[in-house]
Amino acid sequence: MAEATQTPYTLKVENLRVSYQAERGKVKAVRDVSFTLQKGETLAFIGESGCGKTTLGLSLIRLLPTTAAIEQGKIIYHHNGEEFDIVNLSEKQLRRFRWREFAMIFQGAQNAFNPVLRIWDQFWETARAHGETNKRHLRERVEETFRLVQLDPDRVLRAYPHQLSGGMRQRVLIALGLLLKPPLVLLDEPTTALDILTQRSVIDVLRDLKSQMSFSLILISHDLSLAAELADRVATMYAGTLVEIATVWDAYYRPLHPYTAGLIRAVPTLSGERQDLVSIPGSPPDLISPPTGCAFHPRCPYATDQCRQNTPTLIEAEPNHMVACWHWDEVAADGGARMKEQVEA
Amino acid sequence: MSTVQPAQEEAPQKTSSWLQRIWRNYMLRRVAAALFKIWIVITLTFFIVRLMPTNPIDAYVNELMDQYGFSYEEAKDQAAALFNIDLDSSLWDQYVQYMANLLHGDLGTSYRSKGTPVIKMIAKFLPWTLFSVGVSLLISFTLGILLGMIMAYRRESLLDHTLSALASIFSAIPNYLVGMMILVFLGVQWKIFPITKMRGSMSPGMKPAFTWAFIKDIFYHALLPILTYVLTTIGTWMLAMKSSTISTLGEDYITVAKARGLPERRIVTAYVGRNASLPLFTQLAISIGFIVGGSALIEFIFVYQGVGQLLLSSINTRDYPVMQGVFLVITIAVILANFLADFVYGWLDPRIRI
Amino acid sequence: MESLRRTFRLLTYNKVGFIGLLGVIFFVLMAFVGPYFVPLDTKTKVDKIYEPPSKTFWLGTDSEGRDIFSQIVHGGKDVLVVAFLAGIISTTIAVVLGSLSALAGGGVDGLIMALADIVLTIPQFPLLAVLAGLVKFNNVTLLAVILGVLSWPALTRAIRAQVLSLREREFVEAARALDLGTKHIILKEILPNMMSYIAINLIFAMTAAIYAQVGLVFLGLVPFSGHNWGVMLSLAWTRGAIFFKDSLWYIMSPVAAIALFQLSLISFTRLLEEIFNPRLRTSV
Repeated sequence: MAEATQTPYTLKVENLRVSYQAERGKVKAVRDVSFTLQKGETLAFIGESGCGKTTLGLSLIRLLPTTAAIEQGKIIYHHNGEEFDIVNLSEKQLRRFRWREFAMIFQGAQNAFNPVLRIWDQFWETARAHGETNKRHLRERVEETFRLVQLDPDRVLRAYPHQLSGGMRQRVLIALGLLLKPPLVLLDEPTTALDILTQRSVIDVLRDLKSQMSFSLILISHDLSLAAELADRVATMYAGTLVEIATVWDAYYRPLHPYTAGLIRAVPTLSGERQDLVSIPGSPPDLISPPTGCAFHPRCPYATDQCRQNTPTLIEAEPNHMVACWHWDEVAADGGARMKEQVEA
Repeated sequence: MSTVQPAQEEAPQKTSSWLQRIWRNYMLRRVAAALFKIWIVITLTFFIVRLMPTNPIDAYVNELMDQYGFSYEEAKDQAAALFNIDLDSSLWDQYVQYMANLLHGDLGTSYRSKGTPVIKMIAKFLPWTLFSVGVSLLISFTLGILLGMIMAYRRESLLDHTLSALASIFSAIPNYLVGMMILVFLGVQWKIFPITKMRGSMSPGMKPAFTWAFIKDIFYHALLPILTYVLTTIGTWMLAMKSSTISTLGEDYITVAKARGLPERRIVTAYVGRNASLPLFTQLAISIGFIVGGSALIEFIFVYQGVGQLLLSSINTRDYPVMQGVFLVITIAVILANFLADFVYGWLDPRIRI
Repeated sequence: MESLRRTFRLLTYNKVGFIGLLGVIFFVLMAFVGPYFVPLDTKTKVDKIYEPPSKTFWLGTDSEGRDIFSQIVHGGKDVLVVAFLAGIISTTIAVVLGSLSALAGGGVDGLIMALADIVLTIPQFPLLAVLAGLVKFNNVTLLAVILGVLSWPALTRAIRAQVLSLREREFVEAARALDLGTKHIILKEILPNMMSYIAINLIFAMTAAIYAQVGLVFLGLVPFSGHNWGVMLSLAWTRGAIFFKDSLWYIMSPVAAIALFQLSLISFTRLLEEIFNPRLRTSV
């Protein structure tokens, strides 16, 4: 990426490889993923469930379950001229790093709070874990963030998690995530399990927040309109690898990877209906023994012998548009029509 | 999109009658349930004793006539006085009378130790059972929770396997057999404990007072019963806590707590420990009943002067008023203990108190 | 041959459970077949009091010089019969009341559950002791009936919950659509799906019955005569055997017999769990 050297970046991931130990063998959930997140940028990761995007998210903040391990790669974090590799942080350093520098807002906020503690206590213990000692000071800051996410601090802070609705819990979690003003935020499926109206309000809140606070954002979602509304760039993941990174406009109007083309069969409109990923014929690949060559070839209408034998690497096919496909030019030429037909059928 | 939403969206909107409000309140509901159960048990005890084929009152009347040459009338008067029941009145009137007496704490008088009110005898024996069972439960519950958590954190380790095996074995063997083994091996075979000196609930001549010597003494005498109760109940808590901890560790809020950078100690206690132990409180009720129920056997084995011993001696001597009174008090104690467990549970889990 | 091998493999999936099964088989054979091979030694031998185990007296001798092993062999039958009867009775009551409660709903459900709650609250052993003081449990069947009648609530609740959840599943829905009737639904659809549950709870009910039964006999509240592990315990105890170091085998033999039988039963439930619940099997 050309601009990476010019503009400051927040996160630079290089050749990240993550595997799970399963009974049947090693599940290669993230395979040699590299990308750079610019300062203040929003990068959206899209892909079918099981493509490794949540594993990628968890590995960035080193919260993988004990059965999984980062096998190789670097995750360089950069802030205020300081930079270090997250992979090398000790448990103690990690504890301080998490939330203060890098807040991860999980999917399923329904169950993100300790059910037996009041919301205020959970804010207070979080702030205290990162050095806050003054309750009044914290209270002011919480009220400020609550205004941003449109919540009434007096009532919500006194409540227990079960007394809040799903949408409120999601916004409380977002407020908690932004409490320490972290330079880097990761949002994993922030709107799943919410009804459509609530999804709308959460998206509005997120967009406002992005314009009012400056943080870099990684968005993991299968909600394409959410990605379209919030992201600057879109990264498509398939079988644990990145197959395309492009600006939102390019990803939607000029996809170069057949898989992206299939996912974004119809371009969502900003005000239009919500649109989830369409389902692509064929089943997602087995991550224990992925297909040879390009992992997508069994489901790809453009596939040739070359695809079956050789693995394509991520190349900058067009300016600021990276793709891992042997036939990206064909996809560009017909606008992914062959793929779209197959999806439609 | 309104900017402010009420915090309790699910809260009832319409004004409800006070009865409904009481019903909704968890604590009040538990109080009502406990009182109802106590009433049922009292009633049941009354009718069981009155309607049994060998009605204890008739049995006593017969005994008085046979052994002491009382006339039927004299015997009946004597029995009525002891049981505090007017035998000429209808069953219903007797029941009302009996309930009224109970409300005054009057359980009748023993007819083996003549003239002693049953309530006085119970007052002498009950504290020791409550003490030994209470201390045991406290130890086994807290220690069980701790060990269960350690087992869950060190899953599949040698420690986990060893503790799991021990826990399963000790919870499968009847507690009185464990008590016997303790007595036979530690007391008789290896002579580690002077079992004859440890009998009773305290040393002769010891005066109940809030002194170190007294506290040491009562713990010394209760040591073997407590050891037995703890050994035979701790396994259940360990295994329950282990599986509960394992499932709690998979909860989203644990991962989020880690992502929030909370100190590990805070996560282990306020997040994992507190949430994982909640389901155990519902099991506490059954355990309390079982331990108190089995205390007769343990107290018999270690010659510990608790209410279980009193029950046994009253059964063996056919001292019906005492028997009835002790049974009633044991049952009420269990109901109250359950209520206490419910209360603590409600205090720990905000989801059930509204 | 192949099916035999498969059965064997199924039984040995869980090692602890398999040992439990062997234990249960051993005790059943010993209690019911054993007496035909081992004559009961009733002859007092003053010169052979408290002998340690030997070739003639496998488990030593008691306070009157009689063979302990023969008493253990003859003392199991009553214990096992009472446990099994009580287990069957409580399981039957629980299955009937539990399904009734779940399927009838409404007032019947409320009543059964309230009753279960109350029976569960009353501490069992004191109640049994008091009952033993009022009625003479002088035969095995009566004791089994009373034990069974008092220990249904826990299983009833579990069955009710299971039936409620099973009722929602498709195959029961289908049966109802075919208008096959409640009896059919319970007998043909729900019960077979709950066999593991019922079998395991039957065993738990048996262990509870052994606990109560031996306890009552040991305390002398149930005037059992003849040979029974509980009576052995009681005799060994009342004769002050525990104060004589030599009497170790006398008191420990019945203790070990009861404890091992309980352990075998509990371990056996693990095997049942795995056989009935293939998802638990660790390897394919």
